[in-house]
Amino acid sequence: EKSTAVVDGASLTKRSEEEEAMGEQGELAAEKHVRYIVTAEKKDSFESLVMEHLRASGAYWGLTTLDLLHKLHAVDAAEVVDWIMSCYHPESGGFGGNVGHDPHVLYTLSAVQVLCLFDRLDVLDADKIADYITGLQNEDGSFSGDIWGEVDTRFSYISICTLSLLHRLHKINVEKAVEYIVSCKNLDGGFGAMPGGESHAGQIFCCVGALAITGSLHHIDRDLLGWWLCERQCRDGGLNGRPEKLADVCYSWWVLSSLIIIDRVHWIDKEKLAKFILNCQ
Amino acid sequence: MSLSYWFEESRKQQDQERPRMESKEAAAAAQAEEDLLRDFERILHDDPLIDEVGFLHPTQFHSLLVDSTDKSTSQYFWCVDHKLAVSSSILPDLYRAARRAHSNATLNPSSSPSASDAALIMTHSKALLILCADLLTAWNSRKMVLSTNFNLSHLKDELRLCALILSYSPKNESTWSHRRWVIKNLAQHLQDMPELIDKESLLVKDMAEKSKMNYRAWRHRCWLIPYMKTKQVLDELNKSKKWAELHVADNCSFHYRRSLLLALLDGAANREDSLICQSEAYLMWKEELRWNETLIRRYQGRESLWNHRRFLSQWWVQHLLSCEETSLSNESLADLFLSQEIHLLSDCLGAPGDEFGETRVQVELAALYILWISEQDAAVKGKVEERLKSVGSLKEVLARACPEKSRLWTHLLHC
Repeated sequence: EKSTAVVDGASLTKRSEEEEAMGEQGELAAEKHVRYIVTAEKKDSFESLVMEHLRASGAYWGLTTLDLLHKLHAVDAAEVVDWIMSCYHPESGGFGGNVGHDPHVLYTLSAVQVLCLFDRLDVLDADKIADYITGLQNEDGSFSGDIWGEVDTRFSYISICTLSLLHRLHKINVEKAVEYIVSCKNLDGGFGAMPGGESHAGQIFCCVGALAITGSLHHIDRDLLGWWLCERQCRDGGLNGRPEKLADVCYSWWVLSSLIIIDRVHWIDKEKLAKFILNCQ
Repeated sequence: MSLSYWFEESRKQQDQERPRMESKEAAAAAQAEEDLLRDFERILHDDPLIDEVGFLHPTQFHSLLVDSTDKSTSQYFWCVDHKLAVSSSILPDLYRAARRAHSNATLNPSSSPSASDAALIMTHSKALLILCADLLTAWNSRKMVLSTNFNLSHLKDELRLCALILSYSPKNESTWSHRRWVIKNLAQHLQDMPELIDKESLLVKDMAEKSKMNYRAWRHRCWLIPYMKTKQVLDELNKSKKWAELHVADNCSFHYRRSLLLALLDGAANREDSLICQSEAYLMWKEELRWNETLIRRYQGRESLWNHRRFLSQWWVQHLLSCEETSLSNESLADLFLSQEIHLLSDCLGAPGDEFGETRVQVELAALYILWISEQDAAVKGKVEERLKSVGSLKEVLARACPEKSRLWTHLLHC
C-alpha cells in the first residue's frame, strides 16, 4: 500500500494525477515518455551539469511519471533508494538535492516522496527527519527552507506534506502553521509566497494543499479562489499561473490540483485543457 | 583581507591538492581544467567591477577575438570594460573544476573558518555561482564565511555579485534569496535604510524592464515595503506610476502598487502618523481609481487593469458606504460610484468591434468586474442590479459578454 497524504477523504496525490492523465489516453505517447525519463540520466552537457542541484526532485518527477504509466519497474528500486540515501545528512536529518549538496526541505520532501513510491520508508530515521523540519518552523508559524532562514509558503506545504507522509504532523505547531498560511491569503482569494505576496498558481497549490492536509480548508473562500483559478484558462485551453501570462503545461498541475481540492474543477473546460496538454507533447 | 591574498591562497590550494592520476591523459585533462579555473578566477580577481557576463558560442567568441583591438586574456575568456565573455565550449570543464575546487575547500565545514580557508571558499564559490547561480550549497558557503563577523564592505561585495548574476539570470531564486539574507544583515547594523531601499527598488525596476512579469524580482520589491516609512511608501507610489503606465500588461507592477496602498491603510491603523496615512490613503485611492479608468478606456482588454480595479473598488465601496456625505443630487456617494461603474460597463458593451478581438475581451472583463462588485455584499448587489436595469439583468449581461465562463457565474448567481 503506497502511503500518500490523505485529504478530506480523497487521496491528494493519486486523484489529481489521474485527472491529469485523463482525456484521449490513446494519444499519450507513453512509451516515448518512459524512454525519455529512463535515458535522461547522467549527461555531461553544461545544461545537465547545472541541473545537478535538483536531481532529487527530478528523480521524484520522473519516477512519479513512470509510476503513473505503470512502468516504475523500469528502474532498479534498490539503486534508486541507495542513491537517495546518499543525499541524506545524518547530522541534520535533511536531504540535499544531490550527493554532497547542503540539506534543504525541498529535497527532503522529494526524497521522502521517492521512498514512498517504492514503499521504502523503513530506511528512514523518521524522527530525525521530523526534528529537522520542526526545527525550521518559526515563531509566526512559517517555515524556513533551511538554516539560512528564507521563508516561503512553498516551505509550509513541503514541511506539512513531508511530516504527513511520515505520520508525524503532530510534531509541529499545526495551528500556528495554518495561521501563517491564512495570513498569506489575498483579497482576490489567492495566496502568495509571503503575506501580501502576489497570488500565484504555484503558491496557491502549496497553501491549499497544506490547508487540506491539516484539515483547514474552511479558511478558504472556495468560490472566490475558484473564480481566480478558473480565470487561468486561456483561449487555447491551457492554464496560466497569473493574469496576463501565457499558458504553460506545468500550471495544468498547480491550478488543476487546487481546483480539485476545493471542488471547483467543473468551472474550467476540461476537454480544452486535455487537448492543450496533448498539443504540448 | 584583500582579494589578491585570496587569489594567492587559491593558487596554493590548487598546487597542494591536485589529485593523483592514474594515467598521463587523465592528469593532462585535470591540469587543463585547473588551468581554466585559474584563468577564470584571475580575471574575476583582476576586475571586481565586472557587470556583464555572456556565454558565447565558440564561433561568436572567435569573432569577438578577431574584432577586438585589445589583447584577449586567453583563448576562452575575454574581458574588456567590465564585460566578461566566456566561450561556451569550455563550460563543462570549467564547471567541473570549480565544483571540485569548491568541494575541496568546504570539506571540513566550520562555523569559523581560517582566513585562508575563507579565502578559498569565497574565490571558488564566486566562480561557481557565476556559472550556475542555482547552487544553493555555494551560496551557503559564502553565508558561512560572512557570518563570522560583520563586514560592511564584504556585504556590499555580495550585493554586487548578486546584481551581476541577476543581470543575466533575473529570475534566479537563490540569488534573490541570498540578496535578502545580505540585506537583513545590513539592516541589523545600519540605522538608515531608505537609501538602501531606494537602490533595491531601482534594481528591481531595471530587472523588470529586462524580464517582464518577473515574480521573483517584484516579490523582492514587495518584501522591502515593511522596511519603508510612510513617506517612502508615498514616494514609491509616485515613482512607480509612470512605469506601470508603460507596462499595462504587467500584473506584478500593479500588485506592487496594491501592496503600497495596503501599507498606507495599515499605517492608518497602526502607525504614529496614522492620521496622515488615512488622508493620504483616501487621496491616493481616489486618484488611483481615476487613473485606472483612463488606462482601461485607453488599453482595451487588459486583465491587469481590470484586476486592479476590482481591488480598488472593493475597499472604496466599503469606505463610501460608511460615509455619511451625499452628493449634490442627494444620492449617496456609494450609489454615485456604482452608477459610474455601470456607465463604464455600458460604454464597453457599446464599443464597436475591432479586428484584434480586444473589444470582445474588454466586454468580458467589464462584465466580470460588475459581477465582482455585486458579489461584495448583499447591499451592493441590490444597488448594482437596480442600476443595471437599463442595460439588462446581470445574468443577461454575463450571458452575452462571457458565455465561456458560464459555469462560474451560473454558480455565483444561483441560476
